Amino acid sequence: MATGADVRDILELAGGDNDAGPISKKDIINSDKKKAKKATETLTFKRPEGMHREVYALLYSDKNRDAPPLLPSDTTQGYRTVKAKLGCKKVRPWKWMPFTNPARKDGAIFHHWRRAVEEGKDYPFGRFNKTVQVPVYSEQEYQMYLHDDGWTKAETDHLFDLCKRFDLRFIVIHDRYDHQQYRKRSVEDLKERYYNICGKLTKVRAVTGTEPKIYIFDAGHERRRKEQLERLFNRTPEQVAEEEYLIQELRKIETRKKEREKKAQDLQKLITAADSTTEMRRAERKATKKKLPQKRETEKPAVPETAGIKFPDFKSAGVSLRSQRMKLPSSVGQKKIKAIEQILTEQGVDLNPMPTEEIVQMFNELRSDLVLVYELKQAHSNCEYEQQMLRHRYEALMKSGGGPDSQAWPGPDDIKTEAKEQIIDVVGAPLTPNSRKRRESASSSSSIKKMKKP
Amino acid sequence: MFKRMAEFGPDSGGRVKGVTIVKPIVFGNVARYFGKKREEDGHTHQWTVYVKPYRNEDMSAYVKKIQFKLHESYGNPLRGMTEFPSMLRIDQCEVVLQVTLYHLLKLFQSDSSAMPKKTVVSEFYDEMIFQDPTAMMQQLLNTTRQLTLGAYKHETEFAELEMRTREKLEVSKKKTSLEITELKEKLKASRENINFLKEEIRKLEEEDQIKEH
Repeated sequence: MATGADVRDILELAGGDNDAGPISKKDIINSDKKKAKKATETLTFKRPEGMHREVYALLYSDKNRDAPPLLPSDTTQGYRTVKAKLGCKKVRPWKWMPFTNPARKDGAIFHHWRRAVEEGKDYPFGRFNKTVQVPVYSEQEYQMYLHDDGWTKAETDHLFDLCKRFDLRFIVIHDRYDHQQYRKRSVEDLKERYYNICGKLTKVRAVTGTEPKIYIFDAGHERRRKEQLERLFNRTPEQVAEEEYLIQELRKIETRKKEREKKAQDLQKLITAADSTTEMRRAERKATKKKLPQKRETEKPAVPETAGIKFPDFKSAGVSLRSQRMKLPSSVGQKKIKAIEQILTEQGVDLNPMPTEEIVQMFNELRSDLVLVYELKQAHSNCEYEQQMLRHRYEALMKSGGGPDSQAWPGPDDIKTEAKEQIIDVVGAPLTPNSRKRRESASSSSSIKKMKKP
Repeated sequence: MFKRMAEFGPDSGGRVKGVTIVKPIVFGNVARYFGKKREEDGHTHQWTVYVKPYRNEDMSAYVKKIQFKLHESYGNPLRGMTEFPSMLRIDQCEVVLQVTLYHLLKLFQSDSSAMPKKTVVSEFYDEMIFQDPTAMMQQLLNTTRQLTLGAYKHETEFAELEMRTREKLEVSKKKTSLEITELKEKLKASRENINFLKEEIRKLEEEDQIKEH
């Protein structure tokens, strides 16, 4: 629907109906003035645009013709968020015009399209042309403060000239540096010289009493950094692989060390637990000899502190069954439960004995002990294995070393170790084949490594 | 499978601290095989499941109800038993205590297929522990009547069973503690050995290094 105003706009004929000044944002968004007028004219309230039918029904319904008092009066925008209305009728004209770029010093004139309104304004991109303030020094200043044995005045001048020309882009400066006339300088050398001079100048020129901020360029650090980067970049694939391998090995060694420490701790715990149980048994036996059941009862609380099974205390008020107290707590694993049951059936003990107080007590203690035995056995077999590995390594070392004291077993501990050997042979600790293999490979590889080292 | 409930009176708030009363019970079943399928309903066994006090005393003083829960294939699997006619008629019960026991009905002699005519007995002993009972409950527990004047016997000789079990446990315990001491010694020995070997290996390695340098 092209109106007369549109045609006039297109033809850029002045004197439209109401076009005074440029179009504003309000004109674009809020262009339904006519509607608002209509709304005030008609007295029936139309549903505001964007308001939900249900909400409107609450405010105003056909039955109740009375106008609700709370109906919002300003409904021009409805409940919607404001949207820009594109295709607005007025056109903001463009104009082909000349301009100068303030960043240029030659005053060249170019032409471009621009909104007619903005005619005569500055070229907006001119302000992005930032220049660096490179300090200037006088002859006198140079002689007094800036003299450096490695640099001539001419070379310094050349450097500062380039700094100014290339806005401190030192890589470019280095590239354009007159290396034929002057010495070959690295980027760091150039930077060092430049920032040294800047620092000295600000110091000299500062008002007496104030401490100026000086940028300090650490050339040595920068050189080292670049050297490092260079080296990192120049690594061969083999070197990279080796490094990764070494890091992995280091990690392995650390985890193994941790494991070993943990094992040693566990072992210590087990031994102390075994010690305490045996002592307690003795104490208990004495107590039973005396036939003082009350006294024994006082000793009982010490029992759950040992390794093995921790049975929960039944202290809460109410009714419970004695047989409930024989239930293994859920903290005991399936493997252990199976081991306990196996031993119990081997020894002909009922898995669910008659639950009198005494029997429950004994039964629980027995099973706790059995768990301890189970753990001790495991620890022992581990120890056995470790011992064997160590012995093999020892023997290997003896052979390869062939030292002066390369008899089978050295020195004063001869008899002692032999005795221990017998113990080992008698026991013949049962090891699961899996774990054996695993450990074998692990420890043998480690021993090989250690052999390589020297 | 059965439940037993005991209910306390309105004054059940105050509990008697530090008092523990133990009431032994016996539960189980007896079963008899007919020898063949009964014609009228196809049943093969006649069985009785029961809970009774171990001592000769009237449980109804402190047990209000025993509920047997049978397998769901039986009609009306929950069967309550309140045939204790006596004094526990406190209706405004506030606390319901419940103990659940599981019992597998044993109908067949598991080991022998022979002698199917013989009655099968599967009986177990257990103890109810009343921890910190209320004053009322305590009184009820302590003043029980005798059930029968004559001898009160169970199918199983529990005293003998207890003796046997205890003996076995003692033997087993002794064995175990012996084993513990033995293992402990072994463990200590092998640990010392390991340390010794480690030390030796370290020395040898050091020697090697010195030699090569």
